[in-house]
This record gives sequence, structure tokens and C-alpha cells, in this order.
Amino acid sequence: MDGPKSAQERMQARAPEMELIREAQGGSRAAFDALVRQYEQQVLRLALHLTGSEHDAEDIYQEAFLKAYRYLGNFRFECSFYTWIYRIVTNLCLDQLRRRKTRREDHAVILDHSGDEIDILASVSDERSFSNPAKELDRKLLGERIQAALTKLTPRERMVFELKHYQGLRLRTIGEMLNTTEETAKNTLFRATKKLRTQLAGLR
Amino acid sequence: MNCELAHERIVTAAYGELSDELTHELERHMAGCPECQKEREQLLALKLLADANPVLEPDANLVARSRLRLEEALDALPPKRWYEWLAQRMVNNYSSLQAAPVAACLLLVAGAGAGSLGGYEFAQGRAAHAAATMTQPAGAQPQPVVAAAPVEIANISSIVRQPNSGMVEVRYNQVVPQQIQGSLDDPKIRQLLMVASENSASAGVRDDSVGLLAAECRASHSCQAEGIRDALMVALRYDKNEGVREKALKGLEPYVAEDVRVRDAVLEALLNDSDPRIRTAAINILEPVEADTSVRQVLSTVANSDRNPHIRTVSRQVLSRVPEIQ
Repeated sequence: MDGPKSAQERMQARAPEMELIREAQGGSRAAFDALVRQYEQQVLRLALHLTGSEHDAEDIYQEAFLKAYRYLGNFRFECSFYTWIYRIVTNLCLDQLRRRKTRREDHAVILDHSGDEIDILASVSDERSFSNPAKELDRKLLGERIQAALTKLTPRERMVFELKHYQGLRLRTIGEMLNTTEETAKNTLFRATKKLRTQLAGLR
Repeated sequence: MNCELAHERIVTAAYGELSDELTHELERHMAGCPECQKEREQLLALKLLADANPVLEPDANLVARSRLRLEEALDALPPKRWYEWLAQRMVNNYSSLQAAPVAACLLLVAGAGAGSLGGYEFAQGRAAHAAATMTQPAGAQPQPVVAAAPVEIANISSIVRQPNSGMVEVRYNQVVPQQIQGSLDDPKIRQLLMVASENSASAGVRDDSVGLLAAECRASHSCQAEGIRDALMVALRYDKNEGVREKALKGLEPYVAEDVRVRDAVLEALLNDSDPRIRTAAINILEPVEADTSVRQVLSTVANSDRNPHIRTVSRQVLSRVPEIQ
């Protein structure tokens, strides 16, 4: 549990970062570069996993940090910088997922790192068993099937599931990042798991 | 707990977001509910399956490429202009001002509280001090209160620190405005007039006092050599106001013949006074003693070398009459 001591320790641990932010707000490019290096791995990891495309991940990275640079002056330390930068990234990812959803509504299509499209559902048999997937599908194909199921979620459900299941964030933090409440995030997660189970039920 | 609620809690429990108490409640429900047990199994299977799509660390090339592209974009951005910084600062300040009413109210309440407390303490202190003054015995050393006194401090005569204590004894003099009425023959009145003739900062007061003293002397009312006459001679010699000096000279006129000191003072005025009227008046006053050697010397000096032609003429006239008188 977060006691007052741990909160104080957290503040102390964040002190160098806060100093960097203040310097960057004062116009220091070096300080901003240091902040980018601190968060770029996490930003790319999230964007890459969500979009499944290196190209899109690179675009999101670019746009997110440019936005951060432009609006850093508005950051008032009311939340952690981690939450703030993630909020920017998740919004950009949501936009990307929404664009993709309208483009490929009925196609379970994903991109590999070179940008080539692979239609996973077309390559997976519905008769295969969910109870013993290791025997039926190799791990790569199973992953691709999961990705296909994830594309059936709404962008918001996809995002909450991503942040909870894959990034391991607390529901409260997810609520903060998506400008909503913990309760709403919990309900969204519940809906996402239900949909995913329906999507993947054919594997049983 | 119904199964619908249990299904929701199974999800939150599977992701470690359910409190211990609710987890215990859920376990009790599931112990007698095969449907919810199946629900949990399916969810755990989903979690396992979802892990088949692992989160991969971004490729080093991707990181380097992204960073390079970002740096190029940042380099291409025009530097922020001063008004952009200002606008941003104003926006930030406006945002922080949104919380200002609460802070202002708190400050107001805190200020009012501190003010009331301070006022109460001050009033208590004053009341205690007043009580102490009232109860002080008659023979005790008075403890003067400087701040409340309506009189001016004339000077500080001594400061003595009492040993082994923080007490300091300061002796000082106050200027207390007073008034007195009385006859011109009253020694006190005369004394005050003489002080006024020498020390008053106001030329009007000096003029009045010297005028009165001179009138007394001309009327031969107790114009003693050591008292009023001295005051008039000082006024004649040193007063900056010519009106005052003129009155002093007239006051001294009756004593030119009998008092050598008065004669010397008039001769000095004749030689040194800056006002020609006074010097002319001095010549006229000296007429009764113009045969005196010192007077003749001064008159001849003035007649020969005075800058003022009128004074030279008058002096010559007076000197020319001297043989006839003799």
C-alpha cells in the first residue's frame, strides 16, 4: 500500500526528473532530449504492440514527442510526467486505431514489421481446439490470431486491455490516462475480455 | 452476490485489482457456483492465450531511426518568440489563478484571525501597563511613556544601563508648551523677552521682544546694564534682521553717553552693519558723544572710506561740527 513514507520516497525519486522538466520548460533542448531518452522505449513498445506496425509506431513516437515539446509549458506537475506522456501517446494510438478500424472494418488484417499485410483469420482453421493450443497452432500463428481478435475490440477497449494486460498498469492510472474514472476503466476491461473470449471461442 | 457481479469481479481479481475482502467474498460464491468457476477458467485461459502475443522490445534500429527523425523535426522548429513564452506563461498563470479564490479566502481568514489575536494581545498589554501605572506608589521613580506623550523631546541628558539586567535608565527633557501673562515690569516677563530676543527662530518674535525691551529702555523703566541693555546690544550686534537691529539701536540711544559698552556697540554698528539706515541712525545717535576720541576716529574712518556716499557725507557733517561744540 502507498503510505506517506513511500509517497515521500517517490517524490524524492522523481526530483531529478522534475528538475529536467523545469529545465526543458525553460527552453533547454538538452533537458528535453534527456526526457525523450527516458521514455522513448516505453512509448515505442506501446505503440508498436498496439498498432503492430513499425511505421505507425515511428509516426506515433514522432508526433507524441513533438506534442510534448510544444505543450511542455502547460505541464503543471499535477500528475506524473509518465502519466502525461502516456496520455499523449494513448490518444495518438486511439486515433490510429480508429482510423484503421474505419479502413478495415471487416478485415482481420495485420502488418508485419516490413509493412506487408497478413490476413490471419484466413490462415487459421476454426475447427482447431482452444483447450490445447500448443498442439494445434504454433506460437506465432496463435499470436497472430490473438492480434486479429484484438482488432475486433473498440479502440477504447483495445487500449484498456493493452494497458492492463500487456503494460500492467493499475486501473486507476489507466483511468487517468484516458481521462476517465477507475470504475469506467474496469467496466471497459470487463467488456474487452468478454468480447475477446467470444472472438477466440472458435478455437475451442 | 449474483453471478453477473461475480463475473466482473473475476476479471478484476484475475488482474489483481480486487481487495482482499471482496476476493474472499468471491471465493465463497464460487465454491458453490460451477458456472462462475467455468467463467474463471475461461478468463485464465484467455490470459494465457493473450500472452502468446507478447510485448516485444522495440528494435534498436527503430529507436535510433525514430530519435533521429525527431531530432530533425525539433531542429526544424522555429525558436519560440518572446511573446509565445509570455502567452504560455499567462495561460499557466490563468490556470493557477483558477485556484486563487480558495487561497484568497484562506489567506483572508488567516489574516483576520492573526489580526484579531494581535489586537487582543496588544489591548491586553496596554491594559496591564495602565494598571501597573495606576498602582505605582507616589514615591516611586516615574516611568515616563514616550510614545503617548504629546510633548516634544528636547534632548537626552543621560543613558545609564543598570548592571546585570536588561533595564536602561534614560533621562531626557521635554518641551512643554506653556504661556504666561504679566506686566512688562514683571522680571519673569522681561526674562522671557530677553530669551526671545536672542534665541527665537522667528524674526517676528525677536522683533516684538526687542521692540518692547527698547521701549522700556527709552522710557527708562529699569533698563539695567546687566539685563535688558545687554540683550539689546547682542541684538544690535548679531541679529540677522535689520528691523530688530534698528529697534535695538533705538532702545540703546539713551545710554550712549553714560555707558561705554553701549557706545562701543553703536560704533561697531556704524562700522560693520550691512544696513545703511542703521549706520546712519548710529551716526545720529552718536552725536551727543561725537567729541569722544573713539567716536571721532570711527567717524573719520567712515567719512573717508565708507562705500556709501550718504554716510560719508553725514559723517563729515558731524565731524565738521565738532570744533564748534568744543
